[in-house]
Amino acid sequence: MIRAIALRKVYGPITAVDDVSFEVAPGEVFGFIGPNGAGKTTTIRLMVGLLAPTSGTVLLGGHDIGREPEAAKAMTGYLADRPFLYEKLTAREFLRFVGGLYGIARREVEGRSTELLAEFGLLERAEELIEAYSHGMKQRLALAAALVHRPRILVLDEPMVGLDPQGARALRQRIRDLAASGMTIFLSTHSLAVAEELCDRIGILDHGRLVALGSLAELRARAGDGAAPRGASLESVFLSLTGAAGPAA
Amino acid sequence: MSLLGLLAPRLLAARHALRRGYVKPLALGLVTALFWIGCFLFFERVLAYFQTITALGPVLTQRLLVLLFVCFFAVLLLSNVVAALTTFYGAEEVSLLLAAPLSVRRLHQARFVETLAASSWMVLLFGLPAFAAYGVVYRAGPLFYAATVATLVPFLVIPAALGVLATTGLVLVVPARRAGDVLLVAGTVLTSAAYLAFRVLRPERLASPSGLAGFAGFLADVGAPAPYAPSTWAAEVLIPLLGARPGEPLFHLALLASTAAVLYLASAAVVERVFLLAWSRAQEGRPARGSERPLARWLRALAAPLPRTAGLLFVKDMTVFLRDARQWSQLVLLLALAVMYVYNFSALPIDDGSALAGTIREIAALFNLGLAAFVTTAVAVRFVYPTISLEGRSWWVIRTAPIPLGTIWWSKFVIGFVPLVGLGEVLIVLTNRFLGVDPGVTLVFMGTLVGLVAAIVSLGLAFGAAYPRFDTQNPAHIATSFGALVYMVASLALIAVVVALESWPVSRLFWHRLGPEAVGGGESAAIACAFAAVAAVTATAWALGRRLGLRHLARLEV
Repeated sequence: MIRAIALRKVYGPITAVDDVSFEVAPGEVFGFIGPNGAGKTTTIRLMVGLLAPTSGTVLLGGHDIGREPEAAKAMTGYLADRPFLYEKLTAREFLRFVGGLYGIARREVEGRSTELLAEFGLLERAEELIEAYSHGMKQRLALAAALVHRPRILVLDEPMVGLDPQGARALRQRIRDLAASGMTIFLSTHSLAVAEELCDRIGILDHGRLVALGSLAELRARAGDGAAPRGASLESVFLSLTGAAGPAA
Repeated sequence: MSLLGLLAPRLLAARHALRRGYVKPLALGLVTALFWIGCFLFFERVLAYFQTITALGPVLTQRLLVLLFVCFFAVLLLSNVVAALTTFYGAEEVSLLLAAPLSVRRLHQARFVETLAASSWMVLLFGLPAFAAYGVVYRAGPLFYAATVATLVPFLVIPAALGVLATTGLVLVVPARRAGDVLLVAGTVLTSAAYLAFRVLRPERLASPSGLAGFAGFLADVGAPAPYAPSTWAAEVLIPLLGARPGEPLFHLALLASTAAVLYLASAAVVERVFLLAWSRAQEGRPARGSERPLARWLRALAAPLPRTAGLLFVKDMTVFLRDARQWSQLVLLLALAVMYVYNFSALPIDDGSALAGTIREIAALFNLGLAAFVTTAVAVRFVYPTISLEGRSWWVIRTAPIPLGTIWWSKFVIGFVPLVGLGEVLIVLTNRFLGVDPGVTLVFMGTLVGLVAAIVSLGLAFGAAYPRFDTQNPAHIATSFGALVYMVASLALIAVVVALESWPVSRLFWHRLGPEAVGGGESAAIACAFAAVAAVTATAWALGRRLGLRHLARLEV
């Protein structure tokens, strides 16, 4: 459902993303982890068409994001790492706008908006300007917007940031439900616990390069050849593979 | 932490801005220097004239100086209230300072200095050349210049302290977001009204000796200055040092300094006492509403005939625009600009039947197209150029949606073009009516303006995308950035080319004074070629703007 082919992004002397290739199968939850500045957000922005790659490409549902951007974007929902929204719109106006952009019929978008606003606990404040929302509320609204058109692919960049424990728990459950319904989910996260709990496979990015890719068991096995002990947590595996593990106590 | 330490972020940011390149600061310095020279020459001329009036000269000098200080004080008071609202209760870094182990008194000191600096640059820009002109014309000694500096310091502190006090009181009563909107729109309305009032006084009459005499009479008729006003004290410090008449400069300087000190301490005491309460109030948003806002309904009805995506973008852009008080303040300025433009034409001396008046009429008609396009460009710089920057960090919402960039561009273009071409046409029709020009000229200009405005809007989107500013949401800041300046210059060049191309065929076809004989066959072909060249130039500029705009939009990285 998602296929990145030799993706590369260069900014002057800095290579932010270096020859990254991976595939995500339909209905799979794919975790994308890496240290700060590893190139996760840049990779995601290349995937959803916010940046043009220096070379390589991404196929979403078989559509090349560079050559058929409309078809690729129509089946994708995206939650940005920092969800800047139109502060002078209300939540309902924002969902109506986004639904329209994705071609949902006017009548349907009203019902869908109400449904999502209720689901994300925003219905009571739906007519309030977004500028009055807390960070967590904006995050929830951005997620509702990513789902308004019932995408087949969901790309989430740090979705847990800013959510309270209740909201984070509800989102984890929601991700499981969406994956169970057949949605393909690409999840970038700093929380190794979240990746460990939700993801079928995990890709580890370091200095722009994909240094490891596989299921948690596969990553453990691979890390077992190195510093991390067999049966170690994802944290140990991550630290081992990114070379950030400190000296043993 | 020391006061200098607290101000370090601003100073370092200024230093980093300078390090990024010297072109912009140099260009800005050059424009400022030209402005200063212009102001200096204006005041020098007025003051030199006053010197020729033996009996009234000193009185007029005094009255003009008082008038200057009164104007500065009024504007300073308003700008300090607005600046204090931002520096004390709106800036994001205040929360950082509040969380730090920092006394409120020290916080007040740092914020006070920032308020003072943010709001007082205007006095330096306009005031320094005026004071310098006084010094030069009256051949004042170094003491006058030293006294000017010594006077300006307390004179600037007084409205700053009053501004901080007024803002703190206002924030305690009204939530900061509302207070900011109210102040912004009220301030712009007042400024525009003052500007229009000044224009209606027809200051151009000062260019003639009779006009200057009239102005001198006006000054002489102005009542005696209020003895308890800081503006009077400031003038009373400087007037004796000019040798205009004896006085007590030290006493008035002491009055100014002591008042400034008392007000500063009062603002510190009040802020120290209520800052946390006022800051908490400032964080409150607008109350929630239970039902859909009428604005959204009206705009949706208005967009109903448009294609779906264009309608959506229209409703979104207009909703965001109309709910932003900063845009409203820009609209007020636009209205003032348009009214002043039309008024200028109504005030032209073209009714006295003289040969000079006739020539003025024809020259004015010739340049009217360029002037109307210039006004349209000035409005486009405020409203079209910033639209890409104002999408800002929310650009991802549109960019990740399955919409071609071309659709987004067309939507932005139509939203900018329709009101601007309407404005341009109204200006042309009204001003040509005042000028009494041939209806044929008006029709030709109206047609030309359609293409010209289309090109100007297209270029506005191109430059807006090429020089985006995502660090501010204030359209006034975006409209005064380097890219806006480049856009303005490019548009003016285009307007100049179009006016130059069109001036000959229009004058040949419609100005019977200049070419009474009938247009011949060869001339007809040349005239057709000239009009075709105008169409080609505007179409090329439009297409180039669209191409560049789309290219930069595709590369836009937020």
